[in-house]
Amino acid sequence: MRIRTLVISAVALVALAVPASASAVTLIGSGSVAAQPVLQALFSTYTKEVNHKVHFVYTANGGNAGVKDVQNGTSQFAGQARTPLPSDAGTTYIKMFLDGLCIDVNPKNKLKNITIQQTHDIYRGLLTNWSQLPGSGLATTIDPVGRDTNGGTYNFFLQAVLGNELPASNVNALTADGLVVNAVKTDPNAIGYDGLAWQGKGQKALKVNGVPCQADKISVEPLKYPLSRYLFLVLPGDGSGISPALSKFIDWARRDPLAGEVIAKAGGVPAFNKKAKK
Amino acid sequence: MDESYPSEYGPKWSDQRAGRLLGALVCAVVGLLLALIVTVFIKAWPSFAHNGLAWFGSGGSVEEQLNQIYLSGLSGADYVYTFHGWQLIWSTLLITGGAVLLALFSALFVSVFIVEFAPEWMRDVLQPVVRFLASVPSVIYGLLGVLVIVPFIGNHLVTESQKASVAGVISLSGYSLLAAVLILTVMIAPLMVSIFSDGLRSVRPGWLEGSLALGVNRWRTTWKIAVRTARPAIVAGTVLAVARAIGEAVMLAMVSGSIAFAPNPADGLIFIYEPSRPLAPTIVKNIDSLGSPPSNATLFAIAAVLLFSAAVFSLAGWVARRAMRKYGATA
Repeated sequence: MRIRTLVISAVALVALAVPASASAVTLIGSGSVAAQPVLQALFSTYTKEVNHKVHFVYTANGGNAGVKDVQNGTSQFAGQARTPLPSDAGTTYIKMFLDGLCIDVNPKNKLKNITIQQTHDIYRGLLTNWSQLPGSGLATTIDPVGRDTNGGTYNFFLQAVLGNELPASNVNALTADGLVVNAVKTDPNAIGYDGLAWQGKGQKALKVNGVPCQADKISVEPLKYPLSRYLFLVLPGDGSGISPALSKFIDWARRDPLAGEVIAKAGGVPAFNKKAKK
Repeated sequence: MDESYPSEYGPKWSDQRAGRLLGALVCAVVGLLLALIVTVFIKAWPSFAHNGLAWFGSGGSVEEQLNQIYLSGLSGADYVYTFHGWQLIWSTLLITGGAVLLALFSALFVSVFIVEFAPEWMRDVLQPVVRFLASVPSVIYGLLGVLVIVPFIGNHLVTESQKASVAGVISLSGYSLLAAVLILTVMIAPLMVSIFSDGLRSVRPGWLEGSLALGVNRWRTTWKIAVRTARPAIVAGTVLAVARAIGEAVMLAMVSGSIAFAPNPADGLIFIYEPSRPLAPTIVKNIDSLGSPPSNATLFAIAAVLLFSAAVFSLAGWVARRAMRKYGATA
């Protein structure tokens, strides 16, 4: 009797684990944390509005890990926030949408504009007091916060601002973009960097070299805002051997006006999407 | 014995299956553990082989070394392994040591109170509360630290002149030794309290009654008889707490400051506000560089050091408990 109960519950468990409909397709991806908010929004809109049978599983384990997953076949695609490196051999990068890295300070800080050079000097430990930046209205020690080496935000900042020099030892390296936002929110002396998707209450985005960190300034090429970048999907091989469901999704996300709206709402900047008819 | 079953076939399978199954499970667990240890040490070997004992020494910035190691693995030509982990080891010693000392004192007094002095109704409330606290996931403590303790230390305890004195070297923004030690203490103290109070409760009532009957007061009886007899339990609880503290990664990665830096007590009081990063969070922080073979070996080397120290502590605890057996109480 007990054995029968066991068998029945085991069968029930297996049945639960298998997707209900046999014709449904599940696309498995991993990678960039920075691209996650926008990708998730695209996934759920696609499943809801375009094709009910396509489902997505996305693990935000960092861009480099995502590329590795694609190389060894555990993921069908990866989100990536940096440009290709030699170690990415055997993969194809596809431009999906744009993202801007904003430099943020606490709202108590009166600073409006910062140059790339000043940002570089702060994160290299050369400028350490807010009085060295005219217009900040503060005379306190700067608390620079940044990301640790995981994920694309750090790498992009390293390339675009620090010229591939390591940040100084007084930069607090936090494990997630959300923690950077929190640090800038709670500390009046802090300065931090994070994606457009994170802009909101509690932190103030500075103009960089006079250009505000806004979606319309990070528009299609030439990229006017100094800290803007493409976010990529990484595909195995030359990108031709992927499943038809995935290639349909990529076309939709890159071209469709609805996808453009979703990208903009989630904090990214659509790069190629047609404008919606009004 | 079932008579229809000839005894020359040995004991019946149905009589043995539970024992055999459990035995197989135990063998599997032990095998897994061995495989784990062997894998970690094999993967870690290149890092130890290239550095020798200098691995544990100081010299240069760990951050830069980790970066060099990572980059050398991407180019694929000559792997760099140079790594001097003292800043990480010192941070681990400071944070773990500080938290275990603080927790040992507070847990000892709390458990003495719960077992010997608290009224019945309070004991009924405190015990489940302590058990619950001991099982709260560490990431919750990490969140509390990041949202409450760290901003408080950064905005209210650290002064501007202290910050200015170390500007450009490190930031005193609240991510600090103090925050790490305080939260780690809160994390491990309940574990100690629950084991200590089990030990105190198992002291033979006759010994305590004898002491009281001789006119020794209650506090002295508790201190000299109950606590002494419960020493094996105190050692056991401390060893468990040390193991948990050494291996704690997520919470410390969130609050300790995450810069490889060795806070120096010679700097004066300011050193408790200095950031640092212990061994375990270093693995978490560098997960993304696992793709580079020398980084892989270095991170596994850190893991091997953690594994080894955990083994040493549990061995030391076992030896200490054996030596204390003569005091009568078991744990």
